[in-house]
Formats: sequence, structure tokens, C-alpha cells
Amino acid sequence: MGDLPAQSTNRKRRGWSLDSPYAFILPALVLFGMFSLYPILRSLYLSFFDYDFLRPEQMHWVGWGNYQEILRDERVTNWPGLVTPKAILPLRSLASYALGLYALVALTYLFTRRAGRAFAIALAAVVCAFLSLFCYRLLGHAAVAASLLDALRLAIWPITYPIAALWLTINSAGGAFWNTVRFTVMYVPLAIGLPLLVAVMVDKAGRLSTLFRTLNFIPVVVSVAVISIIWMWIYHPEYGVANTLLRQAGVKETYNWLSDPKLAMPGIVAMCVWHGLGFNMLLFLVGLQRISPELHEAALVDGATGWQAFRGITLPLLKPTIFLVGLLAMIGALKVFGQMFIMTGGGPGDSTLSMVLYLYNIAFRYGKFRFGYASALAWALAAFIFIVSVIAFRLSKERE
Amino acid sequence: MALTADKVKRHTGTGLLYLVLAVISAISLLPFLWVILSSLKPHDELYSKHLTFLPHSYTLNNYTQMLERMVGFGLYYRNSVLISVGTVVLTLFVGSLAAYALARFRFRGEQALFLIFLGTMMVPGEVGLIGQYELLSSYKLLNTLTGLTLTYTAFNLALTIFVMRAVFISVPQELLDAARVDGCSWWESYWQIMIPLGASGLAAAGTLVFLSAWNEFIFALTMNNWSDEARTLPVGIQLLQGQWQHWDYGVLFSSVMLSFLPVIILFLCLQKYFMRGLTAGAVKG
Repeated sequence: MGDLPAQSTNRKRRGWSLDSPYAFILPALVLFGMFSLYPILRSLYLSFFDYDFLRPEQMHWVGWGNYQEILRDERVTNWPGLVTPKAILPLRSLASYALGLYALVALTYLFTRRAGRAFAIALAAVVCAFLSLFCYRLLGHAAVAASLLDALRLAIWPITYPIAALWLTINSAGGAFWNTVRFTVMYVPLAIGLPLLVAVMVDKAGRLSTLFRTLNFIPVVVSVAVISIIWMWIYHPEYGVANTLLRQAGVKETYNWLSDPKLAMPGIVAMCVWHGLGFNMLLFLVGLQRISPELHEAALVDGATGWQAFRGITLPLLKPTIFLVGLLAMIGALKVFGQMFIMTGGGPGDSTLSMVLYLYNIAFRYGKFRFGYASALAWALAAFIFIVSVIAFRLSKERE
Repeated sequence: MALTADKVKRHTGTGLLYLVLAVISAISLLPFLWVILSSLKPHDELYSKHLTFLPHSYTLNNYTQMLERMVGFGLYYRNSVLISVGTVVLTLFVGSLAAYALARFRFRGEQALFLIFLGTMMVPGEVGLIGQYELLSSYKLLNTLTGLTLTYTAFNLALTIFVMRAVFISVPQELLDAARVDGCSWWESYWQIMIPLGASGLAAAGTLVFLSAWNEFIFALTMNNWSDEARTLPVGIQLLQGQWQHWDYGVLFSSVMLSFLPVIILFLCLQKYFMRGLTAGAVKG
């Protein structure tokens, strides 16, 4: 009996047998190679041809021609210039001042790592600006500092200007590439911040935490198509929930959420944040559960406030999860398609035209079946996603 | 006294936390509830100037209307069920078989295979859209259930293999050795040891595959959009919305309700597996 197992495992099988690892892996390999690997490589091959699917006989090699066309194609590469500063002068709201001051403090803190010093520098900057403007006024430049508020505004101008200009720029439409980027820039911070907040709360909810996790997760299992249709009804200018709620809150204006070039993209972003909340929250919850509660408790016993414990312990330990959620959100956002296809068709104008939507249209919609150019668009997008992911990886490694 | 004050503070804190979480959960759920309730409203209430949340009167009229007049809906439903179930069965079988080989055998080309699977997972699926269309068209598989099932199977294969490989590696080697001594072929030990022991892993992977096949949009739109015969639910519902939005919202509400409710119920029943599969999928992908 003793040498039987050795014999059976050492039994050399020559030639083909159905009872071998190769036979087990073959079906997967065939399916995967045919329907996953081949189409991807075929797209790469086609991207170097001028090729209309309906006229295969005219197919011919163009080298990098399709990729060069992408760079020339205004519907892809059109890029809005930085929005003029005039646009922010009317923004006399307190919120923009607060934002500017906050940014000044945050920047100072970032460079000095001292909260107290940051506040002192910010305060000094404001006081200096105000004093100098006051002096100007004594010298006759009355118009410059008409009020304390104006002085303050001018003092924080270097900060408010870039922020407001950036926001306005992000919010203005361009070509498909720019629209995809601005969708991503708007979506990713919200897709990290809000789920993290909810996850921290759900994590603290004790016995009810499973319940809240489940409830918030429900939208994730519903398809993009159904979600988009429901939100089209929510955004409906007349019967929609959004405008009805605003009307009840006393807002007189009627917003055309999806047919206003300024609102369409933020509207879609809001829907996507809502749709992805549960999934990102789940990832954060998994990350939070890996952190041992003793660490947190020890900090609290040592007299740290809840916020300090969160900043000092939870957040640093959660960094890998934050990176993962951010990366997944970014890759998903750069590939966005269904939401735009269903809700706006890329409109109004081209303001919500995304890269994948454009390549779909090029391949199947615009009367021609320009498979070569569409493939080049797809591969260019894939290359962009790859490069951005690699940069993100590098940055996250350097931080540690 | 200090103790009770502390207690009161803690209790109000917890209460506040629950309140905020309840509001957030409500925001997550209200759109669905609104659709369900609206599908039960009579026609004139849906089109009245004052939007209501709770219906004043309930009716099933929208549903009977929908089943009578939306001819395509039943077909889309059938197609989605067939394609999703087919994809799950095929992916789990083929994928777990390959995972078994990768987890339990050392053979030539193992590393290369692993790298190919991993590398392809890095490439966004949309990149293959054009090539896939050409491929299916040349095999006359466009607008067929088979074509989309094979496509989805190939998409989900790599992930399933990774999940199942991790499950199979944790099965103790002694069990397999003992089976081998008893004269089991590798194939028999796959059926009789690996599958039963990996059942919960299979369920997790299966729910993930089902969800991705049931909800997939761009490939279904591209490959199966010529006729009702092979159209899936996400593409169909989007088409119906375009056709019916100017005629009857009630009918649309009921059709949308029927397309999300089964998935939500399925999720609530198989929650454990959903969560496991999704987190595994996210970390790997």
C-alpha cells in the first residue's frame, strides 16, 4: 500500500488525455482567446487602417494616420481656454471668500505643517493687504478699497481667482476628450469623499450597520440604463422631482437640467455619485474593518478628540483603500458611456459627449462604419487610462 | 451625575448618527420607491400639475396596459434571463475548471497563461468593441443570444478564474491525495471534492457574473439591437422610454419597476455572496 500514492502521482501521461490540466484549461483558453483577447488585438490592428465596415474592399493601411486625425479632430480635442476673470467679479458671495481663505490656510499648512502658523500667516496676509489698501486710499486711490469686503476680496484674490476660474473652466464644454476629463475631475473627488463619510458613519452604527449598508447598496445592483431613465424623470423640467422640490422650496426658476449646457454634465455627475455611493462605501467599510479598533480607542483614551483620531489614525491607515476607490472611480469615469447615450445623446451641443460615446457614434451612428478611426479612438483612450493609472501608482508609492 | 450626563450625550450622539444615516438611506431608496408608487397611480394623477409621492388611489391598470401593449418587453425579459443564466453557468463551469488546473497543477506555460489573463483584465473592455462586432458578424452571431452569451462569458472568465483559484488553493492537499489513492481521476476529484468545497466561492462569483451580464449595456446595444428577438432588457427599456415618453408614463413606470425589482430582491436574498463577490472583484480588477 505504501508506495501506491507515489506511483499514481508519478504516473507519466504521454500524449493527449482528457484527464490532464491542459484539458481543464483548454475551454477557458479558447473562449477567452476568441472572444476577449482576439477582439482587443483586432481593434489594435484595425486602428492602423482606413476601414469602413460596409466597404471592406477599400480598406488600406494608413500607419499612424488615424491617431494623427484624433489630434486634429475638433470634436475630440477642442479645449476651452481658461475662463476670463471677469466671470468671477460677480461672485461676491461669502462662500467664495471663505473658500479663498480656506485655501490660503490649507496651502500654508501644507508647506509648514503647523496649523497655528498657517492661521497666523493667513491673518497677517489679510491684515497687510487691508492696511496697504487703506494707505492707497489715503493717497487717493479711493476706488480701489471701497469697503472692507473689497479689500478682503483683493487680498485673497490670488487664491479665489484660480479656484473660481478652474471651476468655471471645468464646467465649460469642449471636445469629447475634454468632456471626459471634466466629468472625471468632477466625479472622482465626490466618489471618494461622500462614500468615505457615509462609510465612517455606517461603521459606527453598531447593530444597525448591516441594515444601513444594505439599504445604501441597493442602487448599485440596478443597471445604468434603468438608473438613467429614472433620473431623466427626476430631471424632467415640468413633472420632475428635482424641479418640484425646488418650486416647493420657493425657487421660481425652471431648470432644464439635461438640456442646459451648463447643467447637463453636473446633473449626470450627481446621478453617478448617487449610483456609485454604495459600492465605494462597501470598499471603505472593508478598509475600515481592517483597522483594529484598539488603535482608535487608545488614541481616545490618550485624550484625542474623535476628529483627531480620525485624522491621525483612520485616514493614514485607510490610504490604500482611498487610492483603490479613487483609481476605480477614475477608470470607470474615463469610460463613461451609457449615462450620456441614454440621457443626453452627448448634447446639448457636444457638452456631454464622452470619448466612448464619440467612438460609438463614429463606428455605428454617423452613416459610415469608420471602424479604423473608432478603433484608434478606443486605443488612444486605453493608453490614456493606462498612463494616468501608472502616474497615480507612482505618486501613491512616493508618498509612502 | 457625571456618568448619566455622559450617557445622555452618548445616546443623543447615537440618535443623531441614526437620523443622518436614515436620511442618507432614504435618498438612496426614494427614487425606486417613487417609481414603484407612481406605477400604481391612475393616469390622471400622473399627469396632474401637483406631483404626489403617495398615490391618492391605487390601480394595477398600468401593468395590464403594459403587458398588453408593450409587446417587446416580455421578449427583452426572456432574452436577458436566458443570456444571464447561460453566462453564469458557462462562466462558472469553464472558469472553475481552469482555476482548478491553475491552483492544483504545475505545468508548462502556467506563468504565461496567468500573465495573459491578468494583462487582458487591465485593458478596458470597450477597446474590443469594434473587433467583437466584426468577429460576431463573421460567425453570423450578431443578434443572437449565443453571441452575447459567449461575449459575456469571455469577459467574466478572467475574474472568475482569479476568484476560484484563490478558493481552490485553500482546499487541503491531503483530501486530493486521499482521493487519488482511492483511484479518483483528476476529473472526478474536481466534481466530487473541489465543486462541493468551493460552493460558496462559486456562488459569490456567480452573483457577480450574473449582475454584470444582466446590467451590461454597450455590448448589448452594439451587438443585439436589430430586432426584438435578441434585444436585452437594458437596451430594450431604453428604447421603450424613447417610444413611450410622449404617450404614457404610467406604462413606462411599471416596466421600469419590473426591470429593477427582481434584481433588488435577488440581491437582498443573496446579499452575503454579492458583497463577497463584489469586493473580491474590485480588489482584483
